[in-house]
Amino acid sequence: MSWMLIDLTLCISLLILAVAALYARGLQQRVVFFIAFGLLCAIAWARLNAPDLALAEAAIGAGLTGALLLSALNDETDPQPPLTQPRLGRLLTTAITALLTLALCAAVVTLFPLHEGIAIQQLQQQMPHAGVVHPVTAVLLNFRAWDTLLELAVLLCAALTVLNLAPARPVTAHDSPLTGMLTRILLPLLTVTAGYLLWTGAHAPGGAFQAGAVLAAATVVLRLNNNPGFTHLRVGALRALLALGLLLFLGVGLLQTVLGGAFLQYPPSTAGFLILLIEAGAMLSIACMLSLVYLGGHLHPHWPCHAPSNGVDTWKRHS
Amino acid sequence: MSDLLIALATLPLWASLGCLLWPRLADLLSPLVALALVGCSLLLLDAIAATPVILHHLGGWGGDLGISLRADALSALLLALGTVVTLAATLFARRYFTDDQVRYRFWPLWWLLNGAINALLLSADLFNLYVTLELLGLSAAALCTLGKDKPQALRAALRYLLLGLIGSLLYLTGVALVYAEYGTLAIPSLAQQIQASPASLTALLLLSSGLLIKCALLPLHIWLPAAHSSAPAPVSAVLSALVVKVTFYLLLRLWFELFTAVITPAFATLIGTMGATAVIWGSWRALMSTRLKLMAAYSTVSQMGYLFLFVPILLALPDHDSRALAFGALVLFALNHGIAKAALFLAIGIIQQRLGHDQVDRINGVARQLPVTLFAVALAGSALVGLPPSGAFLAKWTLISASLVTAQWWWLLVAVIGTLLAAAYLVRVLGAAFAPAEPPPPTGKQLLSGELPALLLAAMATLGLGLGAAPIWSLLAPTGLGNIL
Repeated sequence: MSWMLIDLTLCISLLILAVAALYARGLQQRVVFFIAFGLLCAIAWARLNAPDLALAEAAIGAGLTGALLLSALNDETDPQPPLTQPRLGRLLTTAITALLTLALCAAVVTLFPLHEGIAIQQLQQQMPHAGVVHPVTAVLLNFRAWDTLLELAVLLCAALTVLNLAPARPVTAHDSPLTGMLTRILLPLLTVTAGYLLWTGAHAPGGAFQAGAVLAAATVVLRLNNNPGFTHLRVGALRALLALGLLLFLGVGLLQTVLGGAFLQYPPSTAGFLILLIEAGAMLSIACMLSLVYLGGHLHPHWPCHAPSNGVDTWKRHS
Repeated sequence: MSDLLIALATLPLWASLGCLLWPRLADLLSPLVALALVGCSLLLLDAIAATPVILHHLGGWGGDLGISLRADALSALLLALGTVVTLAATLFARRYFTDDQVRYRFWPLWWLLNGAINALLLSADLFNLYVTLELLGLSAAALCTLGKDKPQALRAALRYLLLGLIGSLLYLTGVALVYAEYGTLAIPSLAQQIQASPASLTALLLLSSGLLIKCALLPLHIWLPAAHSSAPAPVSAVLSALVVKVTFYLLLRLWFELFTAVITPAFATLIGTMGATAVIWGSWRALMSTRLKLMAAYSTVSQMGYLFLFVPILLALPDHDSRALAFGALVLFALNHGIAKAALFLAIGIIQQRLGHDQVDRINGVARQLPVTLFAVALAGSALVGLPPSGAFLAKWTLISASLVTAQWWWLLVAVIGTLLAAAYLVRVLGAAFAPAEPPPPTGKQLLSGELPALLLAAMATLGLGLGAAPIWSLLAPTGLGNIL
């Protein structure tokens, strides 16, 4: 009974926050409502017995996206767009969304009672051969590893685009909102948490994406403490860091192919180790990509390559 | 043989990483990879002729648990189209991007886009297809931003990205519904299970509308002209030739392989009507446009419309043989448009680089300056219009006769009007290019190797596809397309 009350409150608050995030007066308020919405969403996932999704939503949906939106708000170089839309467009969007929601509800209702599909049955049979105990990790890194590999490629694509588009401008120092003391406590904590999430992914909720997001949060803390981010990294090292996750994944995938097996097939005895290896590489790349996306406007001065003669000049010209 | 599937799916990803890690080697690496991919796709066509369906269970799991790669005649033909167009565009891009730094940014994204195309064509899993669509949309939008006119290219790319995301989300919702009802995502096993039910119908509508946005079927085409016309030339070529085409391929799979029990003649007529509007409106806007690239982009809208005209006809045809004939014509039309449109965009890219603009009413004298390129434009244009002996001629002929057989004569009318309009916009461009310029422009030397990719593609569309079309039908005959063929 009490859980039902909590769930009901959760649903109503989610709806209210969604409306507020869309229609609040200023952009700043909308962003704050959006972050709150993400946090409640994470709780909703936890209530739906999907702790992996809850972790990902809290770290990426609410955390990093929120930080990204806030830093975009603070960018004074962009004039803020007007918030009013044409009335007709707004009505049309509302009508289409309402229609879609109704149709979806009607369709979903016909599906009950839900039955366990054949894929779930096969999953239960094959779990002993997966190399990990946690079914979500088994699906993401073993049974459907090709999906995850391509998702890494998607992230790489996003990071490359951000690097390509970002004007190379120097980091402007500002008053540090986080004291050095706090940073000294937060950084080791976040790093250890990331390592823990990575390791625990084999038998409990966690894994590369969550660990990478936490590690990226560490770079956000550094950035708030006026650390220049990736600009000190050699551009070659930055490229290697970005490529690492996908490279390891593809390489491990080919291991068995050479011996006549399938692509992305792991030898059963070493499957657990190989999955951890892939996840470790993926974590580093994901952390790098996510923090690049957050850092947005102040990226690497020499991307994508040191210009042969006048690299320093280009950097100065842009700044 | 499954090694071919692995190579086609992963080689572009390796190439992307290679170009990212060693930018200075990318100019050398890319043509080699493109050549290797063409080789793989030709070998695959050869293998398909012997065994109609090739499966590879990734991770060795297979069944409903894992993801499988699958190639049949349809996907192998489109893979061949993709690799050939990519090879030509890759060779072209090496010279097109004169700025090293732009080229270094271009290559990794280029291979990610190519990897997405190949992965999509090979995937036999509904959710995996969603991931490939994401990679396709994001890398395509990212490549659009490399255009010269920065603010305009950015605006077009952002709109492309956002509408593509809406399409992806609609698709994903449809996938979730299918999974909730049937408990599996593997296409071969779904093909035997999907029945008419409210949830399946909703799923079909969601999946279709999501993909129709990406396919730019009128009235969902609003993103296409801006995005395709502001991108760099090699990117425009691949966007028009391949990216919209592979989403159409996915629609074909959905309609004729998975949802055969759900799809109704009324639905097919609706799709056909939208296609007919696209044919006429797209051709009209192409005729009216003031820029060459915009003309080519609107021509894509109209040519995609033809592909949708085949849908109601295919569904109404009475027997297996006539369906197989019409289906072969559909594939031939898609291949023809892919090659010809890529050639046209590459040729326009050369004209634009030479003149510094692509305004139709200011290109007079180009025929003197760039005779080879203009020849490529004329060849590609005649393949787009459907003059014999191009592949489009055969395809349109089959379309028209099939529309008469099924007593749907109105599609004939659409095809004829569309063809006349297409001829009009081609003649308009050629007329302008041959008009004498005062004073005569300098006939500076243009490197032939820069013009060659466009010319070869155009020749392949007009001569190669038309004269060598018979193998396409015989290749498609054993498998056809799932349940109805």
